[in-house]
Amino acid sequence: MTASGILVGYTANAAGADALAVASRLAAAADAPLEVVMVLPSEAGNSSVPADAGYERHLRAQSREWLAQASGHLGADVASKLHLRYAESFAEGLIAAAHEFDARLIVIGTARGGLLGRTRIGSVANELLHSSDVPVLLAPSGSRELPASQGITRITAAVGTRPGADALLESSIRLARATSAPLRLLSLVPIDLPAGLDADLAALTSSVHAEEVLDEARQALPDGIEATVETATGETIEDAVRALDWHQGELVLVGSSRLAAPRHLFLGSTAAKMLRELPAPMIVVPRTTLT
Amino acid sequence: MSQHSPSPAALTEATRAVDSNEHGITKKGLSAGSVGLIGAIVIGISCIAPAYTLTAALGPTVSEVGTQVPAIILLGFIPMLLVAFGYRELNRRMPDSGTSFTWATRAFGPWIGWMAGWGLVAATILVLSNLAGIAVDFLFLAISQIVGNPEIAGIAANPFVNVAVCLLFMLGATMISYRDMRTTQKLQYWLVGFQVLVLVVFSGAALIEVANGNAFDATPIELSWFNPFAVSDFSALAAGLSLSIFIFWGWDVTLTMNEETKGAEKTPGRAATLSVLIIVSLYLLISVSLISFAGVGDGEFGLGNPDIQDNVFFALAGPVLGPLAILVSLAVLTSSASSLQSTFVSPARTLLAMGHYGALPPKFAQVSPRFFTPGYATIVSAVVASVFYAVMRFVSENVLWDTITALGMMICFYYGITAFAAVWFFRKTWFRTVREFFFTLLFPLVGGVILSVLFVTTLVDSMDPDYGSGSNIGGVGLVFILGMVVLLTGVVIMFWQAITRPAFFRGEVLSRAVAD
Repeated sequence: MTASGILVGYTANAAGADALAVASRLAAAADAPLEVVMVLPSEAGNSSVPADAGYERHLRAQSREWLAQASGHLGADVASKLHLRYAESFAEGLIAAAHEFDARLIVIGTARGGLLGRTRIGSVANELLHSSDVPVLLAPSGSRELPASQGITRITAAVGTRPGADALLESSIRLARATSAPLRLLSLVPIDLPAGLDADLAALTSSVHAEEVLDEARQALPDGIEATVETATGETIEDAVRALDWHQGELVLVGSSRLAAPRHLFLGSTAAKMLRELPAPMIVVPRTTLT
Repeated sequence: MSQHSPSPAALTEATRAVDSNEHGITKKGLSAGSVGLIGAIVIGISCIAPAYTLTAALGPTVSEVGTQVPAIILLGFIPMLLVAFGYRELNRRMPDSGTSFTWATRAFGPWIGWMAGWGLVAATILVLSNLAGIAVDFLFLAISQIVGNPEIAGIAANPFVNVAVCLLFMLGATMISYRDMRTTQKLQYWLVGFQVLVLVVFSGAALIEVANGNAFDATPIELSWFNPFAVSDFSALAAGLSLSIFIFWGWDVTLTMNEETKGAEKTPGRAATLSVLIIVSLYLLISVSLISFAGVGDGEFGLGNPDIQDNVFFALAGPVLGPLAILVSLAVLTSSASSLQSTFVSPARTLLAMGHYGALPPKFAQVSPRFFTPGYATIVSAVVASVFYAVMRFVSENVLWDTITALGMMICFYYGITAFAAVWFFRKTWFRTVREFFFTLLFPLVGGVILSVLFVTTLVDSMDPDYGSGSNIGGVGLVFILGMVVLLTGVVIMFWQAITRPAFFRGEVLSRAVAD
């Protein structure tokens, strides 16, 4: 995941600072270059407001200033490049930029305003999660408070039995290797079951099932990679997430929904619920093509 | 704007590292998104918002010049066109979001520049409040037409309900502008197409009713309607012209829109020509058909009736179209809505430039990091427009009418300054080519002189308590008071800023310049 660059979708606000902080922490740990991108609205398809060359120029100058200021916060040990791009939407611009720079990860901040300090998926994140074919990291609000020296202390892969798990495992291994962080395999099977299933039956099958899944995952690990395993338990996903321990410098990987088009993201309900509770940044990995 | 930035951020390594060279930006930014001919025409028409403009301006114009409205429409276009040429030259030379403010400052120095900026902001804020006021009337009319209860349309006359709904409209419009939510091109095409179509149907129906002998006050169409010399006196002509300046206001954007597009030098010119042809034909068609249908008398539906003059479509849609009257309500509503955003943009961008150059507090220069809009300036414009509307609704007997007349005056004021700024800025190059003689000297000079004459005449005449709608305070016409309050407030704020922010007023930020 980290052989190529990490792309930050920067905005000159708190969400942008969160994204930049997480991205530079990850970049420092994985020794990957950072591509900091600001996406400005393009006039393509605009038919409401007359374009104004003077204002365009002002925006460009302002954005450069913002980028320059942002780069001042980056540690000297991170190789970074700053870019301005135009697109009809922020998400579209980020995906295009990720392809342009061959980036393997897009990092964005999440909108503030979630209840009780929880993370809320903003419209940008939503669009990105529905259309990106590149993994997306959502930096929770407040990430900018963590010092860069925190590093990446652990990688947690939330594995299930569903399509996507293979790609997810692969990505997690690569990330753990690149950042030299320990890997934790987390099974969400007990709670990631279809609704309406009989509770007892579910509990029985799921605990057995969870073990199997984790065993399988563990066996799939290449030599030299060790992983701890854990099974999430609880009435709801929210409970389960709260019951687990989380490091401050942790990264969590989840696979995208089964409903997603192959190689594209789509945040499933389980992952969406996790995101709301998670104190750590979460990476959504697209499932691979089934062919 | 960066060209003359007052405090250019030190060009750090990082700034230089931003990998977007000018060429790349042009390729990916403006021109990639430049609209084609049809798109430009659509933007032009939606900025002018013919349905809204005519319902607001037709009545006041009839009250000034009677049946000679078509003549005034044709004549009023001339100063607009002349000034727009100067505007285009300035925009080509010094593209800047501050437009009139920046150009007048560079030509005449900070004081005149500041007032030009103020005039632009005041005019757009006046039109915002009028636009919202008209929209409120038509919203209630549309509801009453849908549920078939004519009493609902009357609710709009209750000042408390009216102001409350108007403020809600403003809130919505502010949010849309702040978040830069854009309608898709397709939707915009439909909205504009619908607007034009309804206006044509409306006129056609009025003419058919006249032919069938069902008109309210059938008035035979005469050639003299197109003769400006048939207007009774010069005051009426001036007042009518300053109103007709308003109806073409916004058209100039089509001239400057596509300037940066490579290989499409002809598009802006063609778009401007075509959109103005469409607009003028539409205006002539509607004014002729409605005058012919309703006459200019002061009967119930007569265009001379002061009770309906501030919003004539509101009164005439029913008698002309019967059950189809709802179409007119929808056309005016969509017309107001689709022009709101482009209207909001202009005071906000000018305020932003004024903040940027230190003519106003730096807060005004804030750009929303998420939506890339002039956030603070947008909100200030909205608040001022809302307060203005609320106060006027209670002070004036006829708020829409008075604001439109005052608006015409403000447009003459800042457009006039802009025209002279063009003349003065290009003073060294007037005689370089024939083209420059016409576009940087003759046209803007004549345009500027016409607008100044209109401004002064309107200002003097408006002292008469019977002027316009007849609203007055202490025997002085409300339009005059409105114009003076707006301008003098500008002077006061200007002096206040000159004390607290002297750098701009010493000419240290935006220096005087001349094209050479």
